[in-house]
Order: sequence, then structure tokens, then C-alpha cells
Amino acid sequence: MIFDRPTNIELISAVIDFLDLEIKEELPPHLAFKLRIVTNVLKIVQREIDLGDTLSKDAQDLIKEVIESTQEPSLIEFASSIKEGNIDLDKESLRKALIGITKSKISVDNPNYSTFKKLVE
Amino acid sequence: MNEDLSILLSAGLSKQGINGSIENLEPLTGGASKETWKFNLVNSSKSSRMIFRRGSGAESSLAIRTSDEAKIQEEVLKKGVPVPEIVLVSNSNNDLGNSYVMKFIEGETIARKILRDECYKSALPLLAHQCGEAIAKIHNTPLKNLQFLPKKSPIQLIEDLYLLYESYKQPSPVFEYAYRWLKEQNYGNFEDSLVHGDFRLGNILVNENGLTGIIDWELAHIGNPIQDLGWICGNSWRFGNSKKVVGGFGDIEDLIKGYNGISNEKINAELIKTWQVFGTFRWGVICLMQAYAHLNGSVNSIEKAAIGRRVSETEIDIVDLLLLGGD
Repeated sequence: MIFDRPTNIELISAVIDFLDLEIKEELPPHLAFKLRIVTNVLKIVQREIDLGDTLSKDAQDLIKEVIESTQEPSLIEFASSIKEGNIDLDKESLRKALIGITKSKISVDNPNYSTFKKLVE
Repeated sequence: MNEDLSILLSAGLSKQGINGSIENLEPLTGGASKETWKFNLVNSSKSSRMIFRRGSGAESSLAIRTSDEAKIQEEVLKKGVPVPEIVLVSNSNNDLGNSYVMKFIEGETIARKILRDECYKSALPLLAHQCGEAIAKIHNTPLKNLQFLPKKSPIQLIEDLYLLYESYKQPSPVFEYAYRWLKEQNYGNFEDSLVHGDFRLGNILVNENGLTGIIDWELAHIGNPIQDLGWICGNSWRFGNSKKVVGGFGDIEDLIKGYNGISNEKINAELIKTWQVFGTFRWGVICLMQAYAHLNGSVNSIEKAAIGRRVSETEIDIVDLLLLGGD
């Protein structure tokens, strides 16, 4: 990596802090509500930068257990093989892949979501 | 613009023989595709609180005409469903556009307030039973005067949602799995009924005694009635109170008891769960639809952009329901 610190994640943190500590107080309620959405979105981006590559790689490994593919299989291939009925819905590796990939996605999108919290506890 | 609307409202109401001046006309926050205003109609004898609701012309493809919502409210009111009484209905040929005026009903709609504020503590234990009764009354409404509504079988609803999902070309293995699963289920032999389509906190009015009104009829249609019961049990509408299966406030036994006490159809928890999976898939596709309204450039909105990343909430709920024994 040729870039200096702050890293991309650190830069986004600085933006989140600025919005939360200096801007939020100044806003009327309907904009303060939108600002909460903005900071949530920035946190999604941070988590994706941090975990995205690893989680996508894990997903590929899970998909490979379900479908035979010559190269690295994609989510598109995985979805279409379920659609085309090539996979038995009771297959254990399918179950494992659906659970694993979905947990990975929600861990980036919203790790505070009730169902995710219940499942990791 | 408020003054213009005041004049139009006053003219529209006086055509119905309702005279008075329009005062305190104020916009209310609400759905993005509809405008909602509150005002007082004041004449010599009294002041009455009213609500004006108008379609923007940019409603979702799933929604019915705004003026048709008023016709439904008139029909269900006859069956004792708590809904605001309709005062005026206007169509797109009139100055007021595709809209209606109804009487104001007291009550809170904001889910987080209803679930957390002290003054609703007494209402929450009653609400699941009351919702069950109200939903059953909606389903008992005669369809004779509601033939303008779209009629959809469970399989048609599933196919429509799947086509919508497919049109965005964003593959979801979980949605593909849910689609195959949903197509294999037995939806029972129920008589076609009026379905509210979006019965949950946010679209019901609540005071300290419980349910006072049901609003937002834009997703109403005719079909299998159990859809409404599955929808309100979805985790998406529990607002973080995931242990309270019914809307984040109640237990499924109370909902069923309330429903079965009024309805001619008798239902059980297993059927509701099938519709809960359907409802979760439906909310997921609605999230996709909203996100793509932003991505395709028809609206530029941070809320709509952000909702695209809520699709995975519905995926984890489907996984929990179908693969991990969740409720």
C-alpha cells in the first residue's frame, strides 16, 4: 500500500466523529435523523473495507462445497444453481453455505441486528 | 402552497355540503410517496380535526390508488373495523387530485414510542388480541363493493415478487432458496378476503387502551387472508423486541385467539409461519426496490441508498426461520 496514514478506515472514523460531535447538535430533528443514517452508512463502509475480502473468500470456499465449478465460483453461479433446481434443498453443504454467507453479510451491514446477535451468542 | 391547498380543501368540502374555514393546515411526516396534512375545520358551532391524504403520482407499483384507500375504509368501517371516517373522496380529475379527507383519530403511530414510552405500558399486553380481532374483521368484509382491488393467489404473489427481485439482477442465494421453498408450501383453502397488506406498528394507531385505528391501506388487495397475520409476525416489524413475535409487543397465542374469536376461518401457528417467510421475502424485495429507485436515479436519497443494505436483515431472518428453527 503506497498511501500514508490516516488509513481509509481512520479517515472515515474522523468523518464520523466530526458529524457526531460537531454537526449533530446543530441540526433540526428531521436532519439529525438523517445524519444517523449517514453515520451508519459510513460504518458499513468501514466494516466492508476491514472484513470484505476475508468474508468474500470464506463465501467462495463455502460455495465450492456445494457446486462443482472449474474456477472460483461466484454468488451469481451459486444463486442460479439453486434457482435451476440443481441442488437438493436438504443438502447439508447448501445449508452451511447459506448460513455462513448470510451471517457474513449481516456482520458488515448491521452487526446489531437482533437475529444476528441471537445467532452469534 | 398551503394557502392554495386551504382554498381547494374548503371548496371541495363545501361541494359536499360541509362548510367551514380551514385552519392550522400542517404537513405530517409519513410515507415518501404520499402527502399527509392535518387541519381543523372550523364553523360557527365547532372545530373538527381532519386529515388530508393525497397521492404524489409516484407511488410504488405495488400500491393502489389513493382514492381507492378511502373506499376500503368506508367498507371496513361498516364491519366495525376501527378506521377514520371518510369525509371527502377526490379523484385525479378534480382540483384536489387523487386524495381524500378523513376524520382525525387520536393515537400514536411511531413504533419506538409505543414500545418504549411509559404511557403505552398498559396497552401492550392487550394489543396482540386486539390486532387479531381487527384483522379478522377486515377479512370478514364483504367484497361486493371492492371488486376494483387486485386479486392475487399466494402463488401469483410469490411469482410477482420473484419477478421484481429478478429484475434488479442482484442475485441472492437465500431469496432463491426461499422462492423454491415458498412454492412448495400448502396455503390452505381459504376464501378470498380483503387483505390489508401492511398491518403492523407504524400503520396502526395506539393509545393507553390499545388499538384505536388502522391506516395506510395502500397495499390492500384481495387474496389469502393469513398473509396479514404472517406479516405482523415478521422480525422486521418487531423493532428490536425480537422475543415478542407479534409486532414486538405480543405473543402469537393472543393474536390467534383474537382472530379465531371473530373469524369464520380457524388458523394455527404453522400457517402463520409460512406467511411469515413470505412476508420476510416480500419486505426484502421492497428494500431492493427502494434501493434501486436510488441507484437507477429516479430519486437521489440517502435513506433509499441505505435501505439496500437492509436486504441482508431479511436474508438472516429467512435463514433463521427455515434453517435454524427460529420463530
